[in-house]
Amino acid sequence: MPHIVDNPLTANQEVLENLRLELRRGCLILAVLAELRIERYGYTLRKALADRGVEIDEGTLYPLLRRLESQGLLMSEWREEDKRNKRFYHLSKEGKSVLKQLTSEWNAISQSLDKLLNGVA
Amino acid sequence: MELVERYLQAVKAALPGKQSDDIVQELRDSILSQVEERESTLGRPLNSSEIAEILKKMGNPMTLASRYGGRRQIIGGSLFTIYWKVLTWALTIALVAHAATSIAIAASGKPFGESLAVFFHFPGVALKVFAIVTLVFAALDLLGARLRPCDHWDPFKLPALVKKPARKSKFDLVVQLVLQAVFSAWWLTGLHYQYLVLGPGANFIRFGPIWLKIYPLFVVTASIDIGLTALALMRPDWGQPARAVRLLKHALGLLLLFLLANASTLFVPADVNRVEWQPVVRSINFGLHIGLVAAIVATLVNFVRDGVRFVRQLFAHEQQAAMGL
Repeated sequence: MPHIVDNPLTANQEVLENLRLELRRGCLILAVLAELRIERYGYTLRKALADRGVEIDEGTLYPLLRRLESQGLLMSEWREEDKRNKRFYHLSKEGKSVLKQLTSEWNAISQSLDKLLNGVA
Repeated sequence: MELVERYLQAVKAALPGKQSDDIVQELRDSILSQVEERESTLGRPLNSSEIAEILKKMGNPMTLASRYGGRRQIIGGSLFTIYWKVLTWALTIALVAHAATSIAIAASGKPFGESLAVFFHFPGVALKVFAIVTLVFAALDLLGARLRPCDHWDPFKLPALVKKPARKSKFDLVVQLVLQAVFSAWWLTGLHYQYLVLGPGANFIRFGPIWLKIYPLFVVTASIDIGLTALALMRPDWGQPARAVRLLKHALGLLLLFLLANASTLFVPADVNRVEWQPVVRSINFGLHIGLVAAIVATLVNFVRDGVRFVRQLFAHEQQAAMGL
């Protein structure tokens, strides 16, 4: 009787998935920082990112927000909205400066990669 | 909404205590926002399966909680490389010390079980070594120690290039195998028919009783020697098994040498009535004992060197396997 495998990911797909996650990790930080130039709480932030084509699950987003706040890049406060307490995040002064530097870094990498990847896909 | 609270309770149980209430409150808001949005789309309250679907998207409570943990390893970064090196060295030294003690006990003529018992202590000692080294490095990491390779290093001070010995050709290995077989047959037969080894000297001196007592060890050592050459001939890519067998051969060699060195007479006069031969035989025995001590030191050095190489290769393979290389 053939053995049925629950997770049909092949080794190659697994490597691809790991590389994809690695590639996304840094990009997500940049996307979150950019989106938090405007104050938002977690749920609306996730929706705003999704609307711009950057999907991020809650299990990744909320811990990331905490980490960025502990690094001093974000500031947050609890406020009531729609009869419920929500935690609003926005960029700190340091966060704005880091976003600026990361953006120029991103632009440089993006330009170089555009040249490198020209004709790959 | 009981399902949501059960989910949050499971997340909270795995969260660091300090911020758990705050995190859970934020997650609750996120889940309820998703529930409300879905309810407004459908125009009705969600059933438990639909709520479970939202919770499943949030992920396993343990996985979600673990993402809030900042510190995930007890020894991290470059400190781990040094930790790994120290640990392998400490375990190798412990193993060599046990092997040496075991051989020394066997050589002193005590029962074999007593010698073997030393090795039964090794797993316990290895566990203690592992625990101590790990705790020390975990403490260093916790204290933020900067035990990392120095940035100001000089390429000219790197160790000289180690030249790998050229692999023997098949012809050389076949010749070696034949010579080993001939030598083994000569030596093992010669211990019974001494004139084969001693020639005309057999009229003056004979092997002492120790040589026949340890005869089985000679047989095993000769078999291993021949087996190693055969292995190199048939499976030259089996480097690690060959290293393990070579290690065993060195250990047996050490045991042989210790047993011989421990024997009072290696050679006896062929004719006990010839008193004038006694000083000559004593001199031969004395000279051989000195030679045996030198051979023990050389074999011990080889044993330690090959042991270290074997453990290094073993850990290197494991590390490569862990890294998926």
